[in-house]
Amino acid sequence: MSQTPQQTPGLSPEHVGRRYPATEPYIVSAAKIAEFATALADDSAAYRGPDPVAPPTFAMVIAAQAWSRLFDDPDLALRLDHTIHADQSFEWVRPLRAGDAVTATLEITSVRNRRGTDIIGLEVSLDTPDGEHLATATSTLWHTGEDAA
Amino acid sequence: MIGNAESTGLVAVRPLAEGQSFGPRTIGVDRSRIVRYAGASTDFNPIHWSDRHAVAAGMDGVIAHGMWTMGAALGAVVGWIGDPGAIRSQRARFTRPVLVPDTDEGTTIEVSGVVISADEDSATIKLDVIHNGQSVLGRVEVVVDNQAPREGETA
Repeated sequence: MSQTPQQTPGLSPEHVGRRYPATEPYIVSAAKIAEFATALADDSAAYRGPDPVAPPTFAMVIAAQAWSRLFDDPDLALRLDHTIHADQSFEWVRPLRAGDAVTATLEITSVRNRRGTDIIGLEVSLDTPDGEHLATATSTLWHTGEDAA
Repeated sequence: MIGNAESTGLVAVRPLAEGQSFGPRTIGVDRSRIVRYAGASTDFNPIHWSDRHAVAAGMDGVIAHGMWTMGAALGAVVGWIGDPGAIRSQRARFTRPVLVPDTDEGTTIEVSGVVISADEDSATIKLDVIHNGQSVLGRVEVVVDNQAPREGETA
């Protein structure tokens, strides 16, 4: 809201609570589910046939679309090639199904700095455009600034 | 004799009980598979397909996506309990990379799991995910629905 004009871009604890607009709805398809299951070497029948569900970690495909909001935010000045995905967790309400439309909404939940590395907590909510909550993907990223390498 | 039958059995019947276990289940991964995963997941970070980029990023060579390893490990749980819809949560820490050599045989991860707590509502399964004798995911816990599947429910 009221950033001092001379402030240089960069992540800081004041960004905790920043929430980005939901992504455009992603339409889950049977073909993409099968492709994803094959890539995981998972031959479960649930992922194939006319009415498949998606492997649980398929949620990351959609959550990652919201990550681009973060890396495109000029205030934060984050670089993907300086970023390490340190941990990940998911909570699922129900499996994603072929035909689901899913939006992803990202919020910055924590920012800490330890010896030049920013430790960033993110939460991405996956929902239908009608407001049905489907899953939450929670991540910790480590971001190393230029001066810390 | 907790765990013995389940260690060799392919599928566990819920409800799960504390101490039940499965694995190790071996899952192969070669360059072709992680290129497929890059396309399927739309994660095209070049450290997953280019040795040149991987080395520049400080790796010994191309590594698997952490999310591939996490997803494949969860696949072992789904294979054990039979129903992806029963998975409620998963968490993991990415502790070591899985180096994927440019060979026909590629490499493997071995996934095993043990139920560390269970009640009539849910069960928590702790996973070990091993590559070349070392753990590559830390604190991997999967919570599953622990009610017996209802009649007619797909398993």
